[in-house]
Amino acid sequence: MLAGVCSGVAKALGVDATLVRLTTALLAFASGAGIVAYFGAWSLLPEPGEQAPSRRRRMAGVVLLVWSVVLALRGVGLAGGLVGPLALVGAGLVLAAGAVSFGLGERRARLAAAILVVAGVVVFLGENTRGSATTLLAPGAVAVALLLVLGPWAFRLARERDAERAARIRTQEREELAARVHDSVLQTLALIQREPNDARRVATLARRQERELRAWLYPDREPAAEGTLADAVDTAAAEIEELHGVRVEVVRTGDAPLDERTRALVLAAREAMANASKHSGVAEVSVFLDADAKHVALYVRDRGSGFDPEAVAGDRRGITESIRGRMERVGGTARIVSSPGEGTEVELMLPEAAS
Amino acid sequence: MSRPLRRVLLVDDHDLFRAGVRSELGPTVEIVGEAGSVAEAVPLIKELDPDVVLLDVHLPDGGGQAVIVQVAPERPGVKFLALSVSDAAEDVIGVIRAGARGYVTKTISGAELTEAIHRIADGDAVFSPRLAGFVLDAFRSGEATSDPELDQLTAREREVLQLIARGYRYKEIAARLHLSARTVESHVSSVLRKLQLSNRNELTRWAAQRRLI
Repeated sequence: MLAGVCSGVAKALGVDATLVRLTTALLAFASGAGIVAYFGAWSLLPEPGEQAPSRRRRMAGVVLLVWSVVLALRGVGLAGGLVGPLALVGAGLVLAAGAVSFGLGERRARLAAAILVVAGVVVFLGENTRGSATTLLAPGAVAVALLLVLGPWAFRLARERDAERAARIRTQEREELAARVHDSVLQTLALIQREPNDARRVATLARRQERELRAWLYPDREPAAEGTLADAVDTAAAEIEELHGVRVEVVRTGDAPLDERTRALVLAAREAMANASKHSGVAEVSVFLDADAKHVALYVRDRGSGFDPEAVAGDRRGITESIRGRMERVGGTARIVSSPGEGTEVELMLPEAAS
Repeated sequence: MSRPLRRVLLVDDHDLFRAGVRSELGPTVEIVGEAGSVAEAVPLIKELDPDVVLLDVHLPDGGGQAVIVQVAPERPGVKFLALSVSDAAEDVIGVIRAGARGYVTKTISGAELTEAIHRIADGDAVFSPRLAGFVLDAFRSGEATSDPELDQLTAREREVLQLIARGYRYKEIAARLHLSARTVESHVSSVLRKLQLSNRNELTRWAAQRRLI
């Protein structure tokens, strides 16, 4: 009613203004606490149309509010010996919680708050305890008080450090990405621009780039911790792509360890891929690897010109020696299905070792 | 074989890719609209009601999955074909489980894409070799579960999927297994249904593992 404080407080708290006015009036009788609180709140509330009250007014407001609490506590009959320290501790906590909004430096506010709280605790102990209990109680109480004041601050410091670290990691990742794009993608694009008319070369470059990026972007596609069968098949396919400028599409389920037998299978598969690339006349070769602990099957298929396997002369050493011979020596089989015009499929099988 | 003209809506955030698809599709496919984000795609699909939506798995404001989830309840007739450069299994399986009828990689040729659109529009499923590989992985033999009918592939379905993974086309599979092309289609559709409906532990565990790595 006087300065619109009660309605302001009500608005800020989201309660009925009448309630606030009634409380203030009642408190006014408690040693005048309500009156002091009224002026404290007036100092803290912004003027209409203002964002926030000045720093000095906010300080004054807090002092007045703390004082009003002291008065109120006295009013309900608490001993002076308790109220004094309580006021000090209260002021310290308010300062600690609101350091930033008072425009004080974080450190200075913390220090001031800590001194106030410790002082409050010490005064309280000095007035209320006698004898041996003090020596035990005092350090504990001071510690608790310090924890209350400094705890949130330490917590925030730790959080800020985490945020800083996260930002640093992000920056590092961005830099790594930039470096990788520069080293690979930009270089490849430059190469392509220099030789735009060599279609095969362009396709090979693009494909190599794609493979590199994929390995980086989808690392789980290479469960192929180095040294497994799946990894070796991927590597062989990549080499064939590089050598012959074709696209080798590898699909695989399962994996197996690399040993003498599976190594032979990879070599045979590589030969089959090379044959498909060289002789089929098509630009894409499909490879499917199906492996588990017991058996391995690998298929190399193209949709190219095909040939008659019966009519293959001995000079196609690739098939007889590099594929069939290799598989048979490790107890596996190789089957070549092809007919002119129908494309070719090479099936490589490795049953469970009969040892 | 004369084919009905199919109305297609293209959802992809790369202009270049959209332009490429536009120029490569055959005359039996008409592009009725294009969108570059989930927010653009959803109202446009509802408005134009196309036969098939070509859907990029990755979109800036969500994924292809988000589009399907928002459109499917209102437009059950619209069919989705997922297109992606992604090799990540969870992306692919995710968009299929959301309701896409197929998945192909963006390196697919124009003729094959046209073929796939017709197949999807006819109600069939389209599996690329890679998707077949993922599915075989996901349904890799394991303990029988609460619903064996949904949670396991039949020997025939497995056989068909393996041939797809080996690079065979439906027609070639039919010839090889002495089946009609129709039967091959129905096996693939059945696998798609299992993939979408199965609660198989293996499948979820498998997807979860993939995401963790």
